[in-house]
Amino acid sequence: MRQFLLFFRKEMLEMGRSFKWLWVPLVFLMLGIMQPVVTRFMPVILESSGNMPKGMTITIDPPSGMEVMAQTLGQFNSVGLMILVLSIMTLISGERQSGVSQMIFAKPVSYLSYAAAKWAIMLSLVTASFVLGYAGAWYYTVQMIGSVETAAALKAALLYMLWLWFTGSLTLFMSSLMNSAAGIAFVSLGAAILLSMASTWLPRYAYSPGFLPEISVQWLQASEKPTGDLGAAILCLMCMIFFFMIAAYQVKIRKSNV
Amino acid sequence: MTRTLLQVRDLSKRFREREVVKGITFSIAEGSCAALLGPNGAGKTTTIRMLTGLLQPSGGSIKLLINGSPTTDRRPYIGFLPQMPVFYPWMTGAEFLLYAGELAGLTNREAKRETGEWLEAVGLRDEGKRRIGGYSGGMKQRLGLAQALIHRPKLLILDEPVSALDPTGRKDVLTLLQRIRRETTVLFSTHVLHDAEEICDEILMIRSGAIALQGSLEHVRRTHSEPVIRLEVGEDEASRSWLTAACSKNFVIHSEVSGRRAKLRVENVEQASLALMADAASRRIMIRSLEAGRSTLEDLFLKVVQS
Repeated sequence: MRQFLLFFRKEMLEMGRSFKWLWVPLVFLMLGIMQPVVTRFMPVILESSGNMPKGMTITIDPPSGMEVMAQTLGQFNSVGLMILVLSIMTLISGERQSGVSQMIFAKPVSYLSYAAAKWAIMLSLVTASFVLGYAGAWYYTVQMIGSVETAAALKAALLYMLWLWFTGSLTLFMSSLMNSAAGIAFVSLGAAILLSMASTWLPRYAYSPGFLPEISVQWLQASEKPTGDLGAAILCLMCMIFFFMIAAYQVKIRKSNV
Repeated sequence: MTRTLLQVRDLSKRFREREVVKGITFSIAEGSCAALLGPNGAGKTTTIRMLTGLLQPSGGSIKLLINGSPTTDRRPYIGFLPQMPVFYPWMTGAEFLLYAGELAGLTNREAKRETGEWLEAVGLRDEGKRRIGGYSGGMKQRLGLAQALIHRPKLLILDEPVSALDPTGRKDVLTLLQRIRRETTVLFSTHVLHDAEEICDEILMIRSGAIALQGSLEHVRRTHSEPVIRLEVGEDEASRSWLTAACSKNFVIHSEVSGRRAKLRVENVEQASLALMADAASRRIMIRSLEAGRSTLEDLFLKVVQS
């Protein structure tokens, strides 16, 4: 436990000094705020762009608050996911590659604590960034667009956060297996996108974690409530535990880059 | 009688088809300073990584005896400085030492005290507050030494501690090692033989993964060093041909000539040098220098490596 705290404190310090604690939440906040703001001012933006024929009028049905929240999740799922993967991809492989790990693992340290600290810092960063972004989106939506149904929005947020946790775990897992940063980012992002896309043709009872973003969008938008959310959530948590175990084992058997 | 601290038996490592370490056996006594010598690629780093637990051996056993009985986890008793140590560039020297000390099991208070002491000891007291990213190679090496020693290990293992340093950095580290070895058992690998001769008392020479020679420095010197005469003559043709002729004298066992220098292995240095000088004087040959001595560790190393 003590070593876990030591490792965790070091990770916090590192993320602080490399400004990841600043820019990752900031990107999520921007993404969150952008959607309601852009939606609100869309007619004005179109009007001032000035290349429309005279006399033409466009009427855009103002979307509901829930719809805007759902679109925000879509934003998180593209740019947000990428930023997330890029900011944590070298968390494990970096130390092994540079050689710092040789000095760390020559000391009587626990590999499980080491891996757990990496997971804890990833979950902290993901959670803080997403909560900030989602709260920003919620606030601006309520201010500019319309009301948001609290229970549904919270449920959607919870499910969506699970999806982000899953992607983060996948990235750390890849980081424990591979050395090249580009490879880690490519495989993790690719797998996340594939899983997400597969949700359109996979049957619901497959409970793939890739359903989570879609389910959370449905919570916000659809009139009828989605099914399969519990199954997908449980499978997602199981995957995360599996990834963690394998990564901890990888850390143990591959202490340095030889 | 000194106690054995480290006992290695039939240690081997293979990477797929390639056997890098081929069953080496040795032991290190408490309080001694051992040098692991060998050319590049002989398996020094692999051996050291296995000793520190960073690499799983393919075969054999490594026993670290604490108070006479082997320990299951060697790591608390070992301090390790890798070849070209890498740190977190965003940390300061003092922060890294504190982190290393606490990871090694010191309490926060102990670690703070030791950090101060070791920064002082390795001469980084003022630089301790600066980020490691701005350190020179020599400073990093000294910081690496401090982090290896912060938990007062029984055995200090160093992988090529001075090879990458400039003369001043080398001297700093060697001076530190001289001091450390009074308190701790040291094992270090090097290919700089001069350093080994200066501070160690045991040597282990390995060649392509197997031990070629081992023993105390004294013993190795006594049994393996041979009487040698080093000769240097003038540039002119007469001198050179005399040098070549000198090599084939009957008291010369083995000779190496390079330009105007020659190294002659002889049976009796005194007789041989007198004979050489008399011969040179009678033929009016200028001897620039003549050194009568014994072969060095370096000669032995070359002999072992090339044989």
